[in-house]
Amino acid sequence: MNRIFLFFYLITANIFPQDELLDFLGEEPLVPFPVQATFKSTRIVNAQSLELPRAKTLEFMIQHRFGKMKNGFYDLFGMDEATVHYDLKYAFNKRLAFGLGRSSWKKTYDLMIKWKMMRQMEGKGKAFPLTAVFFSNIGINALKKDNVYKEKFSNRIHYIQQLILGRKFNEIFSIQFSPTWIHKNLVTTNEDQHDLFSTVLGGRIKFAKHYTLTGDISFPFGNRSEDYKNGWGIGLNIETGGHVFQLILTNARGGYEGAYIEDAKGSLDTGDIFLGFNITRVFIL
Amino acid sequence: MKKIFVVLICLPISAKDLYITRSGSVSFYSHTIIEDIIAVNKQTSCILDLETGSLAFQVPIRGFVFPNALMQEHFNESYMESHKFPRSTFKGNIENWLELDLGPDPKDVLVNGILTIHGVSREISESGTIAIVSNGVNGLATFEVAPSDFGIEIPKIVRNNIARSIQITVNVKLKQK
Repeated sequence: MNRIFLFFYLITANIFPQDELLDFLGEEPLVPFPVQATFKSTRIVNAQSLELPRAKTLEFMIQHRFGKMKNGFYDLFGMDEATVHYDLKYAFNKRLAFGLGRSSWKKTYDLMIKWKMMRQMEGKGKAFPLTAVFFSNIGINALKKDNVYKEKFSNRIHYIQQLILGRKFNEIFSIQFSPTWIHKNLVTTNEDQHDLFSTVLGGRIKFAKHYTLTGDISFPFGNRSEDYKNGWGIGLNIETGGHVFQLILTNARGGYEGAYIEDAKGSLDTGDIFLGFNITRVFIL
Repeated sequence: MKKIFVVLICLPISAKDLYITRSGSVSFYSHTIIEDIIAVNKQTSCILDLETGSLAFQVPIRGFVFPNALMQEHFNESYMESHKFPRSTFKGNIENWLELDLGPDPKDVLVNGILTIHGVSREISESGTIAIVSNGVNGLATFEVAPSDFGIEIPKIVRNNIARSIQITVNVKLKQK
């Protein structure tokens, strides 16, 4: 009796099934990792997204906005005209990027830094629910001297500070909002404020591999003049290797921060909206 | 009788001679005329039952580190779809385990089992080496895997940049559990 028991015992004890071995390893990845590709581009449409260029990568972006669509076929829905913003950004590492830009809209030069303070993390132990980015930008208007600008150089400058908070919920859906402070050294009328506070909301829906829909809109805090419009944009994003192509419909003419947040004048009712595109080209250095 | 019973209760623990690592290395190498791509994963788990020669691997796909971040993003997002298939696994047996005369010198072995990548499982049989050293068991294997066998779609635009058959190198140093 004992022998039989021993025999059966030894047979069963020595077979540790492979499935059990796999279970033994457990399911969770042990090392936490930062969530990637919350957005595919450093801009959602007009607004800065929480993405930086990838580490040690130079990124060249062309933001092209055609003219007003309301003249219809006469100027091919605005395509006869264009305003352009170019910028060149470089990321030193995963957290810090620096950039230079120039817009034909009000001939504005801009300098920016983008700092990823916190990263959304997945994984055991160190999971963190959102990404936080600090974005700071100085815009310098380089229009010819006239009554407004002849006084002082500092009159040409405006500053933007933005805190971008966002989360990638899943492969399909990401959202972010950005409390924004814009300071203009010079305003045109007495009613205009030097300091403007607002928030920019942005999101994306990925509907197919390499294709996403994105949108952003800004909401002001406090009073604005009567002709103020919430700047908005919607975009179809197509990613092909080292390029991201964004096809855009927006009510803002200029692609830089001061322009799309506080200087968007277009409206759907009057057809003052603009077609455009952003092209991002990535250079790995 | 009592003694035997006590021995039997203790046996299961000693009988399972498990060797394990959580930081094994799996790397892959894709060679084409246009470019060579190398990625390394140092978060590979492996477990070997020294009693039976059965073994299992688990590789977190997001643990592959590429020389450039864009490639890594495409690898995860478009090719391996690591949000859907976060892990690759292998479970199998070392052939003729009980007849093998293993020692500190690496010895050629044949491993048979089921490899699961990108949610697709296939039976494979590949050779490798095993050495039993003072502080554990070392395993090494190099073999080829075709992405198309595992339903991994490679877009036309980069088809010439990624090899049809990718060389995988597995290197683990197991310690007694």
